[in-house]
Amino acid sequence: MRIGMPHMGNLYIPFKALFQRLNIDFVIPPVNNQRTLSLGVRYSPEGMCIPFKLTMGNLIEAAELGADTLLMPAGSGICRLGYYAKTQEQILQDLGYNAQILCLGVSQRKLFGLLEMIKRLSNNAPWSKIISAFRFGLAKLNAMDRIERVVQKVRPVERIKGTANKLFAQAIKAIDQADDYNTVKRVQIDYLDQLNQVTKDSKAQPLVVGITGEFYVLLEPFSNLDIEKELGKLGVEVRRTTFISEWTKFSLFLNPLGMNEKDRIHKAALPYLKRDIGGDGWESVGEKVLHAKEYDGLIHLAPFTCMPEIVAQNIMPSTKENIPVLTILCDEQLGKPGMLTRLEAFVDLLEHRRRATSNRLRRVHGSLSGH
Amino acid sequence: MEAYLGIDVGSVTTKLAVLNEGDELVAHIYLPTQGKPIEMTQQGLRHVKQQLPQDVDICGVATTGSARYLAGVIVGADLVKNEITSHAVGALHYFPQGQTIIEIGGQDSKIIIIRDGIVTDFGMNTVCAAGTGSFLDHQALRLNMSIEQFSQRSLDSTTPVRIAGRCTVFAESDMIHKQQMGHRTEDILYGLCQALVRNYLNNVGLGKDIQPPIIFQGGVAFNQGIVKALQEELGAEVIVPPHHEVMGAIGAALLVHEEMENSQNGSKFKGFSVSEIKYHTSSFECQACPNLCEIAQLAVNGQVLAQWGGRCDLWERSPTS
Repeated sequence: MRIGMPHMGNLYIPFKALFQRLNIDFVIPPVNNQRTLSLGVRYSPEGMCIPFKLTMGNLIEAAELGADTLLMPAGSGICRLGYYAKTQEQILQDLGYNAQILCLGVSQRKLFGLLEMIKRLSNNAPWSKIISAFRFGLAKLNAMDRIERVVQKVRPVERIKGTANKLFAQAIKAIDQADDYNTVKRVQIDYLDQLNQVTKDSKAQPLVVGITGEFYVLLEPFSNLDIEKELGKLGVEVRRTTFISEWTKFSLFLNPLGMNEKDRIHKAALPYLKRDIGGDGWESVGEKVLHAKEYDGLIHLAPFTCMPEIVAQNIMPSTKENIPVLTILCDEQLGKPGMLTRLEAFVDLLEHRRRATSNRLRRVHGSLSGH
Repeated sequence: MEAYLGIDVGSVTTKLAVLNEGDELVAHIYLPTQGKPIEMTQQGLRHVKQQLPQDVDICGVATTGSARYLAGVIVGADLVKNEITSHAVGALHYFPQGQTIIEIGGQDSKIIIIRDGIVTDFGMNTVCAAGTGSFLDHQALRLNMSIEQFSQRSLDSTTPVRIAGRCTVFAESDMIHKQQMGHRTEDILYGLCQALVRNYLNNVGLGKDIQPPIIFQGGVAFNQGIVKALQEELGAEVIVPPHHEVMGAIGAALLVHEEMENSQNGSKFKGFSVSEIKYHTSSFECQACPNLCEIAQLAVNGQVLAQWGGRCDLWERSPTS
């Protein structure tokens, strides 16, 4: 049995750590690239979303490397994703690969379901070993996300453009190579320190732009054409509403204990949308309402043909919490020049808006002191 | 004379505008790009130079349009600005009260929503180029008339025919069908204008709060039929400003004027002589990873000036950014 799984950002790193510790035979398909996309587009039904097509490409490339047991996220009641694993398994079989897909379901039995699956895959390894390997993977995941949050803040204000990206790439590599818990911790401290020491423009007051929307396109830079890096180049501080480490913390540990991080987001969305509409549509609306005061603007990322996000897209511009929203639909047809033109114009819009607001405040102050 | 130059190199046309110290238009030119952005930028420079007095001093240059980065490298731009912002700034200079800007160019169409002189929302066509200049040119050619005749004759329509306008290709087949049925050319022309206006409002204008005053600019604003159909569909007056076809270039010039006034440095403009330099463009496929990005490069006398087109920053080299 050889395991393979699709990519989403750097998620392969914690899984690799987990599998290695448990001596599970596994392959990592090449990170998302043009070939992955071409394969995915070629063998997927045309109307499918970009998450389906890219993961399809990953699964084919994993099968090419000899993987016969493929892990694919699935769950009930979320969106079409619920039947992606089955459809993809069928496509792989039609292509002649004798691979079986195991649904990585986290929506029902939470942590225990996942641990039981790992136990089966590891050929019944002792629980102590599984838990220790699991914690090791989580440590890597948490370290990557902590560093990324700082990278998002450094990008817009660094003096030498590209420094933060370079450090981030090195940090990811070092975390991937770390083979024990302490090394992971040390790498984390070391890179956070280096990021803090990057020469920055101390006078810069970067615009703050939130990025929200569908889970996969938020977390897979290949699918959103590296939108965070591009915004960083334009001098914008990005706040992404979703991090896998946060999501894991809640969906695996805290939700089963009755703590739901989404309650707050759903409550914020209530005046405009009263129920779950599948996918992350309810959350997209809620995040806008919730963060309208701290963000200068919001970018809403959605896969083309994603029904829940299209509903959200049409609600978001008309909430009374009024910040500009730019929706970008991601699919294989999204071109970089077109996206950059929109991002540049959006950043101009936000800058002018900020300037007009501060002028208005100054006028109000002026007229007050005049009396 | 101190002056500011705006250059808008679009997919179909290249526009240059020169403003004086008082932001008045003193020279402009409108040329077809014909897929040769470098040559047309150079040709445009020669044209405006002839329109300008000998003692002109270019104190700032900005480029905009889809070839803005390329044109920026050629002329030594002080500012490279996207066409949405440039169009908004140009329109607001002439109509500070404007609340909606409709811009339809050669291959893209935009809508810009403005409140209190500030851009609050914008949209750009994503999936379809229906109603843009290229399509209208093509249909005029098919009907064996110039685009100017298209514009004039569409106004003579008495009973416009209904044409399906969701998709340009289907609009074309529908139009041919109406021709074969024996409808008058004028009625077909205006029917086409109506279909394209509906398509624009349903796609680009979807969900946008269109309020008067409405300003219509870009090359397609020359087309009287489209202007009339827009007014009818919106039920409001549509203003076509003078020099609407070079408004992006005017906006870019205004922006660089403001920029240079706040800057200590002089202009990076390489001078009108760049119109005589021989530029060489080429491209290659990067083999560093499986993405196989196509990298384009611009060179003079074998020396590479700029490179771009990759997914990562490996080859990215541009003196203006």
